[in-house]
Amino acid sequence: MTTKVEPALYARGVRKSFDANPALRGVDLEVARGSIHALLGGNGSGKSTLIKILAGVHTADDGSLSVHGSEIDARRANPVWAARVGLRFVHQDLGLFGTLSVGENLVAGRRYASRFGRIDWPAVRHHAGRLLDRFGIPARPEQRLDELSQAERTLVAIARALRDDEPGEAVRTVLVLDEPTSCLPADQAAWLLDALRGYAADGHTIVMVSHRLNDVVGVAHAATVLRDGQNAATLPEAEITEDRIIELIAGGQALPPRRSTAPGGASTAAGTAATLRVAGVRTGTHSSVTFECRPGEIVGIAGMLGSGRSRLLRSIFGAQDRASGTVSVGDRAIRPGSIRAAIADGIAYVPENRACDAAFPDQPIQANMSVVGIGSYWRGLRLRLRRERCDARRDSARFHIAAGGASHPLASLSGGNQQKVILARWLRTGPRVLLLDEPTQGVDVRARAEIHALIGAAAADGAVALVVSSDFAELAALCDRVLVLRGGEIVADLPRAELSEHTLTSLAAKAAAPAIPD
Amino acid sequence: MPVATRNTQEVHSAATTKPRPAVRLVLERYSLLLLVIAVFIFFATWSRTHATFLTAQNLQNVAADQTPLVLVALASLFPLLCGEFDLSAGAVATMSQIAAGYSLAHGTPLPAAVAIGLGIGLVVGGINATLVTRVGVNGIITTLGMATLLTGLVTWRTGGQNIVEGIPEELTSFGSNGIAGIPALTILVVAAGLVVAYVFALTPAGRKLTMIGSNRQAAALVGIGVPKYVGSAFVVSALLASVAGITMLARNGIASPQAGGTALTLQALSAAFLGATAIRPGRFNVAGTFIAISLIAISVAGLSLAGVAGWVSDVFNGAALVVAVAASTLIGRHRTTH
Repeated sequence: MTTKVEPALYARGVRKSFDANPALRGVDLEVARGSIHALLGGNGSGKSTLIKILAGVHTADDGSLSVHGSEIDARRANPVWAARVGLRFVHQDLGLFGTLSVGENLVAGRRYASRFGRIDWPAVRHHAGRLLDRFGIPARPEQRLDELSQAERTLVAIARALRDDEPGEAVRTVLVLDEPTSCLPADQAAWLLDALRGYAADGHTIVMVSHRLNDVVGVAHAATVLRDGQNAATLPEAEITEDRIIELIAGGQALPPRRSTAPGGASTAAGTAATLRVAGVRTGTHSSVTFECRPGEIVGIAGMLGSGRSRLLRSIFGAQDRASGTVSVGDRAIRPGSIRAAIADGIAYVPENRACDAAFPDQPIQANMSVVGIGSYWRGLRLRLRRERCDARRDSARFHIAAGGASHPLASLSGGNQQKVILARWLRTGPRVLLLDEPTQGVDVRARAEIHALIGAAAADGAVALVVSSDFAELAALCDRVLVLRGGEIVADLPRAELSEHTLTSLAAKAAAPAIPD
Repeated sequence: MPVATRNTQEVHSAATTKPRPAVRLVLERYSLLLLVIAVFIFFATWSRTHATFLTAQNLQNVAADQTPLVLVALASLFPLLCGEFDLSAGAVATMSQIAAGYSLAHGTPLPAAVAIGLGIGLVVGGINATLVTRVGVNGIITTLGMATLLTGLVTWRTGGQNIVEGIPEELTSFGSNGIAGIPALTILVVAAGLVVAYVFALTPAGRKLTMIGSNRQAAALVGIGVPKYVGSAFVVSALLASVAGITMLARNGIASPQAGGTALTLQALSAAFLGATAIRPGRFNVAGTFIAISLIAISVAGLSLAGVAGWVSDVFNGAALVVAVAASTLIGRHRTTH
């Protein structure tokens, strides 16, 4: 290391595997004092794993960490150590209390100033007011947090994380921000990034994990790009450009093998009637989309968080009222806002958040599989439970679901197997349109390949699959065609031949389109 | 961040899950039933109770006296299954009893009076269902308010006095007679239990209620009409509670504003929760509810035959619930963490 000044934070040779799957293969990170350092990388590149090792959530297999000169074996890092050496984390979910005042939020988690056993509110307000001043937050301590904009709330969370610091040389903390602008409209994001530049000038050190290129170019003083658990490069400020970053994130390497049935599935079906027609469906306050999918097509939707991608799927399914536009499957127009009508017309929906929106965790696997068409087991005034169990066993075998038995609760399965149960639930209904929101999120490599194969098989049977994924390499590998969504509008419709992670990343991330809350 | 940690833990636990020892499973399922049998044998042999406890008269009384409690407990299971509480069931029973009794005292024929009693249940259930599913009021608050309101109406109509006039003999004899030594009310209650168990386990409606109770949002996203089923649960609950009210009239021969009420609601809920520790641990189930009520009824009857003071029964009820649920939670925790 040739740096003259000791870095605020460094990590060297950090390794971590999850069950024999390496997530980090010797990663280095060095962050200079008083700088904003961007940590970038695609899905599965290892950037979240590295942050979790810093926070002490995961334990590394090897490597060393140091914050302000206090070095530790990375295998021994833990949350207590992280807090002691001054690492502060602000996550996407800010961990604030909406119904409390700004002042209460700023003092939360620490002892209230008190006099004679009562909370000394004037002291709380005074302390909070000083923090708000110092961090340039245009809010009053007695205001309800709800009344603040999302960007202002992010700053409140940051101020809380840094409340023990005095500005200047003696700053002891390193702030780690996880996707701070991911839910912000463009103008608020710019304002937030300005504020962060100001904090860095005051001597604060900031590590920022981000997907958005706008966050980095012209903001970060340095950027480290990870790919496949290794350092792709670390760029100084002068070399941070969109094209360079996209190139580093996507890498020059071969993408995972494409679907073997491709692109024949779509071409044989070309010329037949469109199975799914979406016309003028709202994805945001000022935007709508129109497109068609042919039978057998796997169509990807690429877009950043906030591009309206999840909302589009929910509108088609009827889980979200669509104020305008029409959706039709075959010749039938789907009644808007009715999930039952959508299911009856052959639409299936696998939501992004499995725990909240799809899983019945305490219920048996067989009940999770049969929940859509439970009426088909109703014969002779009783549910045919034995048939239900047989069908569940058959589908568990067909979809390679590793389960102890069909009567075990869903929660006893791993994430990947749970996801396959959800998929089996819908594929049983013989859907004509499959809406899949992040179908392989948090799923291991093997299960991911199996899920891709199931989607491919459904398409080969003539179904349309509409796949949303923030992993653009996955879309490039899986899809016949990808619609790029930005600011709620389709900005590109790429045929298979033109699909690459590089193209998709640059198209989806490039322009500063205003974000739509998903 | 916690999401990822949980995922890795899940992978880990799925890989190391072993079949649960059969002994523990049997113990978990049947310990409450074994306790009932043990308590029964104890009172049948204890010197202070054996002379009176094991008589047909006593056993018939113990069984028949539980009728309103069993019916209200069965009623409560419907909302509980889909994740709601009906705190008005006991008050509905009282109200139906008073309405039917009042009608009889004013010369209404028996079938019409029974219909009026059941009609009260339908109306109250409908109001609860509308408030919870259409207006979106919290179910606990809705039914708590309804319970208070009904109690007030009962006092207004009766002035706190029992209605003793005009209860026809057909009704009271149904409440005290039996077939082959088994009280007619007990036969009614067992039949009702079988029907409810059938609905829960073997009909699509019961399955859908269960799924709603497991994850309401996911249920909506697989096309289950959540408001329809939750609303129906409240209507069925109130209707069954009004049947309980009629049986109170039949059993007691008078309509008493003090019978039933929120005390009955709480006993019924206790029984449902206690029952969820047996037979199908962790789930509300009919067989477990029957066992729970038997345990309490036999214990309280035995203790009162032994001359123990009346307050002991409340202490026993409460302690049984807390101990059983705590034990079941501990066993359940052991189950999920191996």
